[in-house]
Amino acid sequence: MMKRYALLLAGAAGAVLAAAPAVAQQKAPLSILRVIDADNYDPIRSTATAAAEVMYMLADTLVTVDFDMKTIKPGLAESWTVSPDGKTYSFKIRKDVKFCDGRPMTIDDVVYSLKRWTDPANKSPVSFRGGPVKDIRAEGDSTLIYELKEPYSDLLFQMALSFASVVDRNTVEKLGQNFGVQGFNGTGPYCWVKWTPRQELVMKKNPYYNWGPPIYKDPKPQIDEIVWKIIPESNTLMAAIQARQADVTYYMPYIALDTMQRIPGMTVQRQENYIYDIFMGFKVDKPVSSDKAIREAVNMAVDKQAIAKAIFFGKGQVLPSLLNPAVLDYDKESAAAMPKHDPAGAAKLLDEAGWKPGADGIREKDGKKATFTVYGIRNDVNPRISEAMQADLRKVGIDLKIQLWDATVAWGKLATQEFDAFYMAYPYVTATEALNLYFASRQVPTPNRMNWKDPKTDELLKAAATATDDKARKEAIGAVQMQLTDANVWVPLVSQPLWVVAGDRVEGVRAHGIYGAGLYKGLDIKLKR
Amino acid sequence: MSSASDPLSRTPKAVDAALSIVAAAPVRRKSVLRMLLSDVGACIALALVVLAILGAVFAPWLAPTDPYGNDLANTLKAPGEAGLLGTDGQGRDMITRLLFGLRTTLLMGFASVVFGCVIGGIIGFAAAYYPRLSGVLMRLMDILLSFPAILFGLAIAAIFGPGLLAVIIALAIATVPLMARVVRGSALVVLQQGYIEAARSLGLTDLRIILRYVLPNCLSAMFVFVTLRFGQVILLGAALSFLGLGAQPPTAELGAMAADGRNFLFFAPHVSVLPSLVIFLVVLAFNVLGDALRDALDPKLRK
Repeated sequence: MMKRYALLLAGAAGAVLAAAPAVAQQKAPLSILRVIDADNYDPIRSTATAAAEVMYMLADTLVTVDFDMKTIKPGLAESWTVSPDGKTYSFKIRKDVKFCDGRPMTIDDVVYSLKRWTDPANKSPVSFRGGPVKDIRAEGDSTLIYELKEPYSDLLFQMALSFASVVDRNTVEKLGQNFGVQGFNGTGPYCWVKWTPRQELVMKKNPYYNWGPPIYKDPKPQIDEIVWKIIPESNTLMAAIQARQADVTYYMPYIALDTMQRIPGMTVQRQENYIYDIFMGFKVDKPVSSDKAIREAVNMAVDKQAIAKAIFFGKGQVLPSLLNPAVLDYDKESAAAMPKHDPAGAAKLLDEAGWKPGADGIREKDGKKATFTVYGIRNDVNPRISEAMQADLRKVGIDLKIQLWDATVAWGKLATQEFDAFYMAYPYVTATEALNLYFASRQVPTPNRMNWKDPKTDELLKAAATATDDKARKEAIGAVQMQLTDANVWVPLVSQPLWVVAGDRVEGVRAHGIYGAGLYKGLDIKLKR
Repeated sequence: MSSASDPLSRTPKAVDAALSIVAAAPVRRKSVLRMLLSDVGACIALALVVLAILGAVFAPWLAPTDPYGNDLANTLKAPGEAGLLGTDGQGRDMITRLLFGLRTTLLMGFASVVFGCVIGGIIGFAAAYYPRLSGVLMRLMDILLSFPAILFGLAIAAIFGPGLLAVIIALAIATVPLMARVVRGSALVVLQQGYIEAARSLGLTDLRIILRYVLPNCLSAMFVFVTLRFGQVILLGAALSFLGLGAQPPTAELGAMAADGRNFLFFAPHVSVLPSLVIFLVVLAFNVLGDALRDALDPKLRK
């Protein structure tokens, strides 16, 4: 019996040895690790970062965003012009583009894709990003006209997001609801091979691709095959990268970054202009959180610096204001008006507002306790951020009740009126986009979970969105930032940094991070072996 | 016949005394304790249980620091680096958190076992004493038994929102059918005895018979079940808290503490390992104690 096993083992070893040279000729696929999968990969049907990060590689957009997160660069459109009234955009579309199946992309494909995105009949959760569309049409065989009912200053940034990707009409119609589930056909640098939900998504090089955006050195993809793997548990993810079982990730736990940096051959880099902010928002019509003094006191009592340092292990950055300093139209004046960390000042403010400490140390006013409930998603940082805030607020006599929910139920819970405050983390590209999304009264109850309804805000938001020159837009959106800072509707917390960790087999990785997509189009990345 | 003219109702004590002689002696405190103490494992388990209960009860006086005050400048310190057992992700002293965590965990276990056993016991006695009810009640218990406790926890947390109360309710409900079965089984044996028939023929009320003659004779089985169940309930409760359905912050709970630390398992293992170790020891102690009690209370195993 033993002998037979020994023979079997020898045979197996021989087989492995025989196969080895064949394996050596072809490089193993680039494997990218992430923690969560998307529900589907149809650009107009998923708002998830997990969908966007893959979409940028599978498909292209008319315009692209540079690494500074502020400059619009060509994509499928070589050039574009905007009419003086800001209502008509004409894009000159490249003629040398082919889909993954080899069919040349035509202007009709572009018109179809953009109409699919913006048409209310498709009930896309991201159609609003396309702006007040009047008409999208082709003019000749290479010009696209995007006509708006009123100016929309954010349009180019929105068109750079994966939601505006150009897709193949035939595949969409053939697969129906299964488009982006069973298959995909785009013009991106990589092509869909197969998707095993919650496990992996495999893509291979688009052999025709040579129209990469000018933000990269080489417009062609360099890797034959990419595998996006899901590893939900952060310790396992870390171990896989450390053991070189995978090549790249930007979901490394913050606590592990220093260790990774010390491993020879490992590169760890940070995208300075990454915008993914965490804040706590107040419902302004709830008994306790409707009091401006409470909201301001919370902003003063919470030690945001300590949170950024302890919870993000020194890798996070405090948000000095409502918005990220890296964003277009960031208003420095309202940042200066943001309350500074001052627990004694917070206590004084509450005293003056009539909130007196009760027997249990929690303040009271008119028989009402200074207690409010915060909802949020139970992710890797919210439990720790909320507990740190809870302890800070207890020191000034405010009782924070924390209720965090599993991601599967959290979005439903966050759409209710049960809570007084909530945690949110979100990516955005411009100040106008972020504030229009969260503070326009038409956005109540979600995403305007604050129930902030203010005619002046609405007016300024509209002015910023429809501005045709940069100065007017900056002024209007700056005024909104000031108004909201003064009202303390949000407690801006931390800007979540983007860190890309890459193993020694990989070179040319550069962190991008648009809408959370750390590798963007994945160009310039090469495998050494 | 009115109750006033019933000679038996005037002298219930005499009847009880007479029947007690017939009924097996319900309490055997001395010999049971001696049996327990002769077993080294049981002694250690008993000591651990007593220690855990004392630690939990006196946590506010024993804890060196405030369990809810954070210190973000000193997070994840290793044992010895800050405090004897280090600090957690919020910079709180681990000894303090463990003591308060134990307090919550034991309270959760105690509350759910008490509720579950009282309700389960009532159902068990009713099912045994009233054969007509038995079918319905026990089928109901079978239905309850078919749901795993974790599923109950999920369902109840979905209805009431996550929290200690949800866990206690879930675990109590999960305990009810088990207790009902144990009680019904032992009660059926007791009800066969001649002294029960005697009590019935003397016209004692059902409640009196159950409380005075059936219950004491089922106590040993119930006691063993409660001790063993306590260990299981603590483990289940910690599991539910680990999943985020139990104690909500800033409340310290051993399962939730173990969950908190899992993100830094490689860098600060003590945050997860210490509460897990405490859970392990407490559950083990209750199980060993339960086993020893069962042996001590079993007349067949007595010398």
